[in-house]
Formats: sequence, C-alpha cells, structure tokens
Amino acid sequence: MWLPFIGLLVGILLGLSTGIRVPDAYTSYLSIAVLAALDTLFGGIRAHLEKTFEEKVFITGFFSNIILAAGLAFLGVHLGVDLYLAAVFAFGVRLFNNLAQIRRLLLERWSKKKNDSPTSL
Amino acid sequence: MIFTAVTTIIGFMVAIQFQTTKEPIVRDTRSVMELRQELTVEKERQQELMEQLTKNEEMLEQLQDTSNVETVIEDAIDDLKRSAGLTEASGEGILIEIVPYFDQHYQGGAIRSVPSHLVRMLINELNIYGAKDIAVGSQRIVSTTPIREVQGVTLINSRRITTFPLQVRVLADDPEQLHHYMMTSEVKEYLQYENLEFSSTPMKDLTVPAYDQSMRVRYMTPVKEDS
Repeated sequence: MWLPFIGLLVGILLGLSTGIRVPDAYTSYLSIAVLAALDTLFGGIRAHLEKTFEEKVFITGFFSNIILAAGLAFLGVHLGVDLYLAAVFAFGVRLFNNLAQIRRLLLERWSKKKNDSPTSL
Repeated sequence: MIFTAVTTIIGFMVAIQFQTTKEPIVRDTRSVMELRQELTVEKERQQELMEQLTKNEEMLEQLQDTSNVETVIEDAIDDLKRSAGLTEASGEGILIEIVPYFDQHYQGGAIRSVPSHLVRMLINELNIYGAKDIAVGSQRIVSTTPIREVQGVTLINSRRITTFPLQVRVLADDPEQLHHYMMTSEVKEYLQYENLEFSSTPMKDLTVPAYDQSMRVRYMTPVKEDS
C-alpha cells in the first residue's frame, strides 16, 4: 500500500539530487508528459479498485500516453497551433473523472464495511 | 510493484520540472568591455555620491560649529539660487552670435528666428562640452526653461526670440576649449542648412542675466520634520 508513495518520494529525491535541468524550449513537453503519467496512474488506481486492472494495459498506456502527448505538443509547435492545450484539456478532464470514480468507489467500499459490521461500534 | 515504478518515474519527472521552472538559468553574456564600462559608470556614481556626502558633511560641521546658524543657511540658499540661475552670473565664457546668411541663390522667405530644435540642440551641445551658465538673447536658461515654436517664431521662457544677431552668452571654466568644440560642432552645420551663420568668440568677462520670472515648482513639496 505504501510502496507507491515511497516510490514517489524516491523519484523526487532522485530528481532533485541529480539536478538535471531541461532546456526552456522543452519544459512544455515535460509538463505534458507529467500530466499524461498522472492520468495513467489514476486510471490504473481506478481500474484496480474496479478489479479490472491489467498490467499490460497499464504499462503500455503509461508509455504510449506520454509519447503521444509529447508528440502532439511537438506537432503543435511545428504547426503553430497550441495543440498541447488539447492534450492538457483531455488529460485534465480524464484526471478529474478518474478521481471522481475513485472517490465514489472508496466511499462505497467504506459504507459497505460499515454496514457489514455494525456491532463493532 | 508496477505502481511503485510508475510513481517513481512520475516523481522523477515532477522533480525535474520543478527544478527547471524554479530557477531558469540566466547567463551573464556581457563581454569584458561591457563589464568595464559598467564598472566605470558605477565608479563615477560613487565619486559623485562621495562628493555630495563631503559637501553635506562640511555644511553640517559648519552648522554645528558656528553659533550663528543664519549666515550659514543664507550662504547655502545663495549657493542654491546661484546654481538654479536666479542670480546674475559673470566670468569667463564664450559669446556665440547667430546671424542670417544669404547667398545670391537664396530662395525662400524671410528668416524670423532660429528654429527651436536648433536652439535646443545648441544648448545640449554646450552642456555636453562643459557650459556652466547659458543665456540665449536676454533669457537665462534654467532647468525648466521651455523652448517652443509658435507660428514660426521661437519662444524661450515664453519670450519671442526674433532679434538678429542672436547672442548666446555662455559661461565656462575653459572658454578656449569650449570655443574650439563649438566651432567644430554639429549644430554649426545644421545652422548653415537653415541659412544661419554661427560665430563664437572667447571672452574674458561675460555676464549672463538672472532668470527674471518666478520659478514654478510643481513636483516638489517642502519636507517638514515631525518635532
């Protein structure tokens, strides 16, 4: 349960300690990649709670989303259209949907547990 | 396990993004020459500030030493009035005369006055080459002197400057040098284009009149100490 959080911390520490900097021109790609990764992560958590989680789908989704988002941003820069906004919008909407679903599932689970064991209170 | 790997990657990316956006690298691209120039400017400023400081300290000392504060303050006020141009000033300087000059092919109307932009240019050049006090015609140039053109006539201090020859009296520490500078100045050429001839003579004794109107101070108010 706590392993992902430890992983997150390790990642942040690793990133801060290496001191890698991305050139200014590529910051938008990185930010969109982060957004895509977050989207996939929350999608994975939701799938896990719904018990429809599949490792292969998750891993492929993770990488393909990042690459696609960055590619879209790249295309947008070369076409002179802010296409990365489309990716930001799509990922943002999906992120919120996933979060809402996760919340609902957790609430459901919590209330079920409460009903199952009324004597414990 | 997979989640852990994914969150690690996310954490890594977030950390990099954070570092990148937090402190963008500002590179100092100035060359040695530019740095030297800036250093010189700063040194000059320091010098100026030091001079001011010494002057003020001297005045403070005088105020503390003398029992008669009034004379010191009066001296200071006189000094300020002199530098503001409210008193007559005399000393070494140059006399510039501007007269119309017509050759036989001249076409065009009468010349009524020296164009205002040329007067401005002349004053700027005089100031660059070390003029202390300037009077154009009978008008003393002070820091708020307006030089305008109204209906083809130049007005200085809201007075018409139409007489020829136009005499510009300039006080300077080194009149000989100022004279040489002015004889090779750009404004001389520009005056020639307007059919005006420019001559300058160094003078041993020259008097510039005082500014005869009341000074309007618009953006300053006296400071009152809370006591």
